[in-house]
Amino acid sequence: MDTTKTSHIRNFSIVAHIDHGKSTISDRILELTHTVEERDMESQLLDTMDIERERGITIKSNAVRVTYDADDGETYQFNLIDTPGHVDFTYEVSRSLAACEGAVLVVDATQGVEAQTVSNALLAMNANLDIVPAINKIDLPSAEPERVREEIEETLAIPAEDAVCVSGKTGEGIHELLESIVFLVSPPSGDAGAPLKALILDSYFDAYRGVVATVRVFDGHIRAGDMLYMMQADSSFLVDDVGVKRPLETSLPELGVGEVGYVVTGLKDPAAVHVGDTLTYDANRTAEPLPGYREAKPMVFTGLFPIDNKEYENLRDALEKLRVNDPSLTWQPETSVALGFGFRVGFLGLLHMEVVKERLEREFDLDLIGTSPSVDYHVYTTSGEMLDVKSPQDLPRPEKIDRIEEPYLKASVIVPPEYMGAVIQLVIEHRGIQDNIVYLSENSVEITFYVPLAELILDFFDQLKSRTKGYASLDYEFADYRPSDLVKLDILLAGEEVDALSFIVHKDKAYTLARGLCDKLKEIIPRQQFEVPIQGAIGNKIISRSTVKAVRKDVLAKCYGGDITRKRKLLEKQKEGKKRMKSIGTVDVPQEAFLAVLKVGDE
Amino acid sequence: MNRGNERVVTSWYERLHSTSVQALYLHVPFCARKCSYCDFTSWATRRDDAVLGRYVDTLCVQLDEARELGLLTDCRTAYVGGGTPTLLGPQLLGTLINKVRAVTTSLAELTVEANPDSLSDEVIAALVHAGTTRLSIGVQSLNDEELKALGRLHDARTACERVRAAVASGLDVSLDLMCATPAQTAISWKTTLEKALDLGVGHVSVYPLQIEEGTPLEQALDDDEPAWNDPSVQAERMEQAEEALCRAGMERYEVASYARSGKSCLHNQAYWTGRPYLGLGTGASSLLTREAYEALRSSWTALPAPENDTTRLRLTVTSGPNEMAADVRLSALHAEVEFLNESQATAEDLMLGMRLSRGIGSGLLERAYRSIGTTRVNEALATCEKRGLIARQDDRFVPTHDGWLLGNELYGLLWGLAEESVHAIQV
Repeated sequence: MDTTKTSHIRNFSIVAHIDHGKSTISDRILELTHTVEERDMESQLLDTMDIERERGITIKSNAVRVTYDADDGETYQFNLIDTPGHVDFTYEVSRSLAACEGAVLVVDATQGVEAQTVSNALLAMNANLDIVPAINKIDLPSAEPERVREEIEETLAIPAEDAVCVSGKTGEGIHELLESIVFLVSPPSGDAGAPLKALILDSYFDAYRGVVATVRVFDGHIRAGDMLYMMQADSSFLVDDVGVKRPLETSLPELGVGEVGYVVTGLKDPAAVHVGDTLTYDANRTAEPLPGYREAKPMVFTGLFPIDNKEYENLRDALEKLRVNDPSLTWQPETSVALGFGFRVGFLGLLHMEVVKERLEREFDLDLIGTSPSVDYHVYTTSGEMLDVKSPQDLPRPEKIDRIEEPYLKASVIVPPEYMGAVIQLVIEHRGIQDNIVYLSENSVEITFYVPLAELILDFFDQLKSRTKGYASLDYEFADYRPSDLVKLDILLAGEEVDALSFIVHKDKAYTLARGLCDKLKEIIPRQQFEVPIQGAIGNKIISRSTVKAVRKDVLAKCYGGDITRKRKLLEKQKEGKKRMKSIGTVDVPQEAFLAVLKVGDE
Repeated sequence: MNRGNERVVTSWYERLHSTSVQALYLHVPFCARKCSYCDFTSWATRRDDAVLGRYVDTLCVQLDEARELGLLTDCRTAYVGGGTPTLLGPQLLGTLINKVRAVTTSLAELTVEANPDSLSDEVIAALVHAGTTRLSIGVQSLNDEELKALGRLHDARTACERVRAAVASGLDVSLDLMCATPAQTAISWKTTLEKALDLGVGHVSVYPLQIEEGTPLEQALDDDEPAWNDPSVQAERMEQAEEALCRAGMERYEVASYARSGKSCLHNQAYWTGRPYLGLGTGASSLLTREAYEALRSSWTALPAPENDTTRLRLTVTSGPNEMAADVRLSALHAEVEFLNESQATAEDLMLGMRLSRGIGSGLLERAYRSIGTTRVNEALATCEKRGLIARQDDRFVPTHDGWLLGNELYGLLWGLAEESVHAIQV
């Protein structure tokens, strides 16, 4: 079975701005092609992790083969390649797209074109894909398919007169969408007789079989028993098995030209397989690797410390287990006077950080303290050295610093014109440098600017959403390193400096931030039996102060026969709450205090 | 009658292994009106509702059963609480108290809870006649504005008048007062305390109002931490009460209880000193030794077997009044049963013992050393002492002023000595 002619193969991705309904449409496709029967359907099947389903986002790529009996009487092999749906994972998206000939561009009929619609459409166009526009959520009363159709044409220059109107929720229009895919997406082409050329678009780890790579074959074919060579990693492995997901794994005799499927490598080290790498035969190698390979590079760093120091080894084990399916995760040991032993962990972005932290707590039952996220500063010392500083603790003393450079992003915000002023104001407040303003249509304007990554990871996104009533959408990519006047802000609790609360900040913002942080910490730190002064300092100079007042009394409840159980439960809850606090000196500090800097300015 | 300054002295062995309980509690879950702050088990019920009579009948049947099982042989105190027991009226109350007297032989104290608005002369007479020794009256305040804000049915004048009548009847009388309430000021509180002392009662309980989740009071508040209930206001009012009541010759024998010499409540002290008690009626709790529980289980067969290490059980009745009327037997009740092992039982006793001004003594300490471990117990006590929550007094540990104000800190540290949380089963 499954020796489909390339003319009957369609490889495509579904791309969309977050929440525009990508996963729901995928689900309906699986249903309509009987890949998954309705009764077995678990909503958003392609998102396999709990967190993916809960947050409605896709973190890992996934490729599923479905068989479609088209109206022309022919049977087609569709390979549906699901892509991560967040700016943190732009590189992964680009590799998934490189495995496709087409992309279904989903736009929410009530929201219209948003920032990631634009960036995903651009990625798809750059990858030379045939684009099938689909206007989703037409079942909603506030749907405006005609307006959105115009917006797609105007802002993206994609012909949209034939855009399919669909509802992922009701299934309306999904059949028409599948027909459009048959007609609008080109079949793959390649040379079956040439040396193998295949793209690794994702990998995952299986305890029994080792690393399993998701691949797209361009030339040649892959069979079990083939000796393959990974051109970037410069290493080889023997293929144990090949096959496809439907959506359960189904073993096949081979993966031929144009096909997408999995390859069991037998490799035990997840980091040995790189997304974007090119596979070829070990003995008969293709001349050139596929273009576009890049190493995944962490952008955001945070300290992760177990509240209970005895959990240190467990945290390391858990990180190692997570890295098995997420090779982009990096870490090194970090020691804090306040928090003990932990790790400085690198992430692709803020969402990646949140997801990993949540998985560590939930899947491995760890109580963790995460410290304020930091970026990778380039610190040039007076002795002419360049240091990579990813943690405020590692910043050398001021007299030893010649200059500090920090990473800048090129970011774009798409927003209705009436919010342009608010966005520009926000950009300026975050030390951004405006680059360009382009009217995409009457209703939307794109503002591009350069902004320090450190500013973006603080509260930029939340602020953007609140100041534009949720209309703005954001996209960004790394630009370059630029010099900045940065200082280290220290926080003292009850007179003791707490290293885990230190923060690198621009000199001009240090005072405001110090004041905000002291006030925020005052809110977060519960009253203790004694007064706790909170101070902000640069070097030896105190620049802000607040005080947590001493508690005089707690609840005195009746405690007769029937009340004792209730009292005990209350005390147990109180104890649970304390477990999630860290004793620093004599002060009990809740977890969220260490992320207080992200909350400065919130009500 | 066997009553007075006598102290009920029992050895820990007796408390831990006797088949008979030492205290009996009966819950009457009916009120004329539900107060806005109240989250106890009670329902607004009319005085003439037939459910009252059926409920009393059920309790009487179950009291007979308990006696037959040998649970009441050494029972020394009884307490009829609520709700509002006086809502039952003179006849039903008489029936119930007579039954309590009939199933026990040597009660040193028999308390009935009362509300001023239903404490008629007839009720007082019936209570005295049936052998009640003590009345605990839910006065809460002697300031009309405060009473109105609390949604109480009585005014200050009625309260004073009813309390005087109760005192005149020869019963021991206790008043419940409430501080840190919506309309209260330091001055109105002072007046309430003075008036209460003028009434000649031997016992006063003082609690700060607690804003409980889901109560009408909580829902009516814009601010979930109103200034009038601020912890520092609560602390000031508790200190004011201590000052006024102790100056008038009362002793603060428990964090919230004040008594003239010989007038402390024996029944409530049973709760705080690990003495076993039987609770009957909707929402009532029992604390049973393994032996008492097994005796009960011989008739109430649906009860689960205790676990191997269980030394104490707490059983809370979950059946409602109508359910109890449908099948009156003990064995038809629904309940939640908690199994406590020796370390949990001891940790609970340590925690409760610190509510008392005399704190915990060598007997309980030795038990704690045995069941929890000397090092852990001493470490916890040292922490409490270092934080100023307890102090050493001869061979006892007693709570300090701060320890009482910061009770949850103190109780939390002591309850923390129990290794795991208590396991409960519904039947």
